Amino acid sequence: MTREISTERIVRAQRRAFLAHSGYGIGAAALGMLLRGDRPLAAADYGQEGTPRGALKEFHHTPRARRIIHLCMAGGPSQFESFDHKPKLTELHGQLFPASLTQGQQLAQLQNTELRVRGPFTKFARHGESGQEISELFPQIATVADDICIVRSLFTEQINHDPAHAFFNSGSIIKGRPSMGSWLLYGLGAETENLPGYVVLTSHSKAGGAQPISARQWSAGFLPSRFQGVKFESKGTPVHYLGNPEGVCQSAQRELIEQVNTLNQIANERWLDSEAETRINQYELAFRMQTSIPELTDFSGESPEILDLYGIKTPGDGSFASQCLLARRLAERGVRMIQIYHRAWDHHGNIDREMRIAAEEVDRASAALVKDLKQRGMLDDTIVLWAGEFGRTPMGQGSGRDHHILSMSGWLAGGGIQPGITVGETDELGYRAVVDPISVHDLHATLLYLFGIDHLRLTYRYQGRDFRLTDVFGNVVTKLVRS
Amino acid sequence: MNPQFSDNGTMNTRTLNFGWSGAWLAASALLAGPLAPSTAHDTNTTARSRQIVAEVRYNRDVRPILSDHCFACHGPDANQRQADLRLDRREEAWAAGVFDAEQPEASEFLQRVTSSDPDEVMPPPHFLKPLSPSQIEILKRWVAAGAPYEDHWSYVAPVKAEVPPRVHPIDYWVDRSIAAQGLPAGPQAEKETLLRRLFLDLVGIPPTPAEQTEFILDQRPDAFERCVDRLLNSPQFGERMAAAWLDVVRYADTVGYHGDQNQNVFPYRDWVISAFNRNLPFDQFTLWQIAGDQLEQPTTETLIASAFNRLNMMTREGGAQPDEYLAKYAADRVRTVAGAWLGSTLGCAECHDHKYDPFTMEDFYSMAAFFADLRQWGVYQDYEYTPNPDLRGWSNDHPFPPELVVEVPYLQERIRRLEQRRAETIADSLRRHPPDEARWQSWQGEIKAFLQSYPDGWAFADGLKLEGESPTGRCVDQAWRWEGDKIDALTIVLPPTTFPILAVSIEILPDDSAGGRLFSAHEMQLHCAFAVESAADGKGRPVAVEFAAADHALPRYANTFEILGIQGGWKIAATVPRVRGVWQFAEPLRLADGQVLKLKVTGNRARHWRISLSPLVPQRLDRPDAWQQQLGQWQNGVASPAEATEFVGRQWALSGDSGGELAATIKSIERAIRECRDGRWPVQISQTQAPRETRILPRGNWQDPTGKVVQPATPHFLPKGHVQASSVSRRLNRLDLAKWLVAPENPLTARVQMNRLWKQFFGVGLSAVLDDVGIQGQYPSHPELLDWLAVEFRESGWNFKHMVRLIVTSSAYQRSSIPTPEQLRLDPTNRWLSRQNARRLEAEAVRDNALAIAGLLNLDMGGPPVFPYQPDHYYEHLQFPDRRYVASTDDRQYRRGVYVHWQRTFLHPMLANFDAPSREECTALRTEANTPQQSLTLLNDPTYVEAARVLAAHLIQEQADDTARVESLYRRAVARPPNAGERDSLMKFLTKQRAHFATNLPDAGRLVRIGLAPTPVDIPPEELAAWTQTVRAVLNLHETITRY
Repeated sequence: MTREISTERIVRAQRRAFLAHSGYGIGAAALGMLLRGDRPLAAADYGQEGTPRGALKEFHHTPRARRIIHLCMAGGPSQFESFDHKPKLTELHGQLFPASLTQGQQLAQLQNTELRVRGPFTKFARHGESGQEISELFPQIATVADDICIVRSLFTEQINHDPAHAFFNSGSIIKGRPSMGSWLLYGLGAETENLPGYVVLTSHSKAGGAQPISARQWSAGFLPSRFQGVKFESKGTPVHYLGNPEGVCQSAQRELIEQVNTLNQIANERWLDSEAETRINQYELAFRMQTSIPELTDFSGESPEILDLYGIKTPGDGSFASQCLLARRLAERGVRMIQIYHRAWDHHGNIDREMRIAAEEVDRASAALVKDLKQRGMLDDTIVLWAGEFGRTPMGQGSGRDHHILSMSGWLAGGGIQPGITVGETDELGYRAVVDPISVHDLHATLLYLFGIDHLRLTYRYQGRDFRLTDVFGNVVTKLVRS
Repeated sequence: MNPQFSDNGTMNTRTLNFGWSGAWLAASALLAGPLAPSTAHDTNTTARSRQIVAEVRYNRDVRPILSDHCFACHGPDANQRQADLRLDRREEAWAAGVFDAEQPEASEFLQRVTSSDPDEVMPPPHFLKPLSPSQIEILKRWVAAGAPYEDHWSYVAPVKAEVPPRVHPIDYWVDRSIAAQGLPAGPQAEKETLLRRLFLDLVGIPPTPAEQTEFILDQRPDAFERCVDRLLNSPQFGERMAAAWLDVVRYADTVGYHGDQNQNVFPYRDWVISAFNRNLPFDQFTLWQIAGDQLEQPTTETLIASAFNRLNMMTREGGAQPDEYLAKYAADRVRTVAGAWLGSTLGCAECHDHKYDPFTMEDFYSMAAFFADLRQWGVYQDYEYTPNPDLRGWSNDHPFPPELVVEVPYLQERIRRLEQRRAETIADSLRRHPPDEARWQSWQGEIKAFLQSYPDGWAFADGLKLEGESPTGRCVDQAWRWEGDKIDALTIVLPPTTFPILAVSIEILPDDSAGGRLFSAHEMQLHCAFAVESAADGKGRPVAVEFAAADHALPRYANTFEILGIQGGWKIAATVPRVRGVWQFAEPLRLADGQVLKLKVTGNRARHWRISLSPLVPQRLDRPDAWQQQLGQWQNGVASPAEATEFVGRQWALSGDSGGELAATIKSIERAIRECRDGRWPVQISQTQAPRETRILPRGNWQDPTGKVVQPATPHFLPKGHVQASSVSRRLNRLDLAKWLVAPENPLTARVQMNRLWKQFFGVGLSAVLDDVGIQGQYPSHPELLDWLAVEFRESGWNFKHMVRLIVTSSAYQRSSIPTPEQLRLDPTNRWLSRQNARRLEAEAVRDNALAIAGLLNLDMGGPPVFPYQPDHYYEHLQFPDRRYVASTDDRQYRRGVYVHWQRTFLHPMLANFDAPSREECTALRTEANTPQQSLTLLNDPTYVEAARVLAAHLIQEQADDTARVESLYRRAVARPPNAGERDSLMKFLTKQRAHFATNLPDAGRLVRIGLAPTPVDIPPEELAAWTQTVRAVLNLHETITRY
């Protein structure tokens, strides 16, 4: 049973008892108004607010961000062909990798093999006024160099895809721990009632070797399930069971829902059950979702210029570009966290071909998202996070690179992130983050910080312990925060 | 703060700082009773607490405060301990001098907790857990009373206190607490409510209207008890009870990590259900699961039970480090055994001594060591960089060994039913709709002529030719030898026949050139494809194969399951004496003039072949000679269809002369029979090998080999019992652990099980934190009752049904769940059980309930998982191998939820939406949310729409008028008649829907065709659609998915 609901239950039971005695209930007229529900979107719906709507009664400090779009480069992109320029690797290409570095360290598919340096196959150049170094695979991201903060010193603990995703999302590899989106939703609530507060998207790739992902990556874990991420299908009906049954038009469905709630109210005069009151609410919400999601996924109002900015050929085609535009639309409508999993980056082999494909698929739209948010004034309070679940080895694996945990690169933008800088450095072979190393826990602490949350003080009691997203770790990385 | 009350918005959580004690405060604040802990920031509390007799109890009042605020730094974890002060043990706390016997108020302990100096005060501000004034008040009184300690309630042996005779023991304790709180005991629930409650609690499905009537009319004094006994003996009881156990042992049908491949474990699930139904004593239940392979005389059943040890998540991801995963599996098992049996969070001690409970890291790894003897692999695959000689050649499609093939009653019964249906179908076609006489005669004449020449049913293909120049064929002794170099690919032109070809047999015979073996290599994998080629255009047309099977084939796998048949490849070991495979064509093949049948073979290594053809099909392709007797009988007799045996009838049905529909029916039945795999299925089991060395992993780091080596041992602070003596003479094993779990001196197991059982009948445990009865758990509301139940459970011979009967026959269980204003005021959370609690049905029961109401529920028991309708593309992100979800297309669509395929990474969305756990981790307490996704599921999931339209048809067909239909609908759905308001409202709705569909006929036609179930043709679609909407309204009611 849920501990939390039982509190609501009590209060609602009391209220219900009161209402029953006073002969007052939710009037049919009021209900009908709620059910018509397709209120026009207005700034007020997700606009200014001084206090969070979740478990936190007040912000721990002034929030900088209100929403986050996580572009998850699933599979683990190579930092050496993206954001961590290591000329030394070119110089030593093909030579034995120094055993002093690798001794006793974790390896994945390179276990029990001879380790040799692999030089990058791309060129790097400096971009923008900030002069950030970005590889030629990402010419569009290079155009927003001054808006993004490149991080070269991320590291993680998990060297296989499945646990690495779990760790990147929840800070733990033990199953049943909440993901960061669920923590945000739990702490702050959402700024929409018509859509899930945490939405997960996936996009199609032509690159080979997509690695599986798991629903546990957006699981609410031990938090109540209403905080879980809702994955939109990239084909067909975006949300499970969203579409009316065949032969039931919207008006018939609305009549049905009204009837369900009328009967729920009559029955509850007998049972005095607070959960039934909540249920009535949930049916109203369900109907609002049914009406608002088609509007959400209807791109016909987007101008050709916007479609072109993102590089969308067919809106709604499940491409990364189309999903980025959908992410912006979700962000506009008050969704707290949006993740896009682009499964294209596990380049154990043929990296020079496969990574080009993957980069081309995401480059333009990633940059467009930053530009579009900026031109709408949303970048100030929207974080964009671009990263994989781990990095790749400076050692070659045949024609590719293996998984690597001691160094990885990514970038952030908006929402209080310091733009136009590069944070952190790896050693000259890129093997290990040596300057300003940033753990996944540090990243989590920083993201929560930007949302106005002290990561030490957002807790949930489970199995007798107060759990946090950052477990017992994590430090806010102030260098990432815009001064 | 107790998570029970961790919600943020709706209530002043500050009054609830003590969890249940807080609730108890609300109820008891105005009463004379034990100390009510008052609350932070509550201005009335001081006044209130003055009215209360001060009796502070360590376990109930003090320990929760110390544990939450002090033990993290002054508790069991030696590495984190500050100032060398340990407050969780009396001797050490006193020895440290923080208490003062002479002047308690001057003790350092009190000075520190009451200090206003940020450098002095405890807990320190940076700990972020300040004490509230009321907590400080409790600590003051405790210290004033001499700071007495008690052992933690769940770590001392439960004692069964005396209960007066002729009083129901449960009511004795519950009524005492109600009286003590001055609460009014609620009335008994209405009979109809009670019956529905009992059904949903004991068997998980609602009573039918007939069962309701029977019970309501039954005036015998023991009518209720009779009903209890009937339900306890119903096979559905085990299905209902199993779900909670399957959660704690994290039973699932897939392995969980990465590719999340299938695993073979469903016989374990069936065993759990059967164990509950047979009332297997809980001690045996325990022993068999943990050590079913280590019993003196293991049986198939105990080995199936031992699959418990194989339910941990597993991986075969490329690049996974075997030792890392072995460490993960070990930790997973420790968490599960501790969670499932002991209700303890031992998992914390993987990286450090437990912060609150006395579990140490050594306890954790010593527990892990019990399982170090299990035969297992860190990575269930053979990669070149992490070779795995045991699993050479293993791929993503292979199973997860070790496995045992066991008989599956469900599959055997299904085969029996299918074979019966085949016999009936054949008999029906021969007798009731006899075939055309002339066709029958000509067919039989042709077959008999064939049998004249080939009495064994097979015509040797002696005129075949090989295409190309090499190799060449030479016929010796009714078999062919391929001579020449390149025999791996052959194109064989089969000779023309006078009969239609329905089956082709290929035998591989020993060959001198291979030293009397079939061929020189170890094994080969043959691919055989047939094509008809026409001389006119030289084009080939592939011949469809219905199935192919052999009397010997090495197994091939697809997503963990052995591939049925050899049509996709025939893997042969060279060492078998001879092998024979038979291909059954989808249709009989009659070659026209100028056409030839070609057999294209690849992967061949054998030189000695015999190919035969037949117009008949053996019943079992893998036993192609088993038909001799029937062929002989046929030769000598049979004339009319009426006299034909089933054997002859089947040949007729498949001959093509009988008409396509009959052949299609028989083929589909036979496909279903084959899918039953002879009534057997593998199950992952426990096997012992030499134990791996178990070391303490410093900070849980699997790469750190510096930790101490540990031997299997039970947690150091709990009574050792018999284990003590054994451990001197030998290494303890899993059987020792299992015996210790159910030993009389174990204080935890019986309590934990009874607490969870209580939850199933009251919605909340006596200690509400079901997954932690440790220091941070919750002091039970009725500790004496929990102890009484625990001891009774053990003394009854660990008799589950006895305990269930006890619970449901109590007055406490049978009370109404409708709260009175007074109950709400005095005990809003119903801590003292003056009423029942309403309880939303679990995910599986939400499904079962709807199907049962509709009359669709299939009560078959056991067997492979089933696949309800599921949204498209849900598995698109599952790879290695790629997955495609195929919903069950027959009566398996309507099986109970406990049998639904449990995909750990992508649990069926209906189950997930209703809070079923993914079962990746031991789950004792499901969350219970109330979300729009649940509403969407009930509204739009085809399962519920189909249930509605099927029930709508029943109502129309069975009931005379609309009023009777609405009445029946309510009785079926919520086991009560509708009241006037409900009836009127629903009638109006019905009228509106009728009008709507009358003008939207195509919509009506679509709605009434959702799902597999047939749509009655004699009901106008608009009427059926209007009623479908009406039933949907009731199936969506909160009451329908709630047990009151």
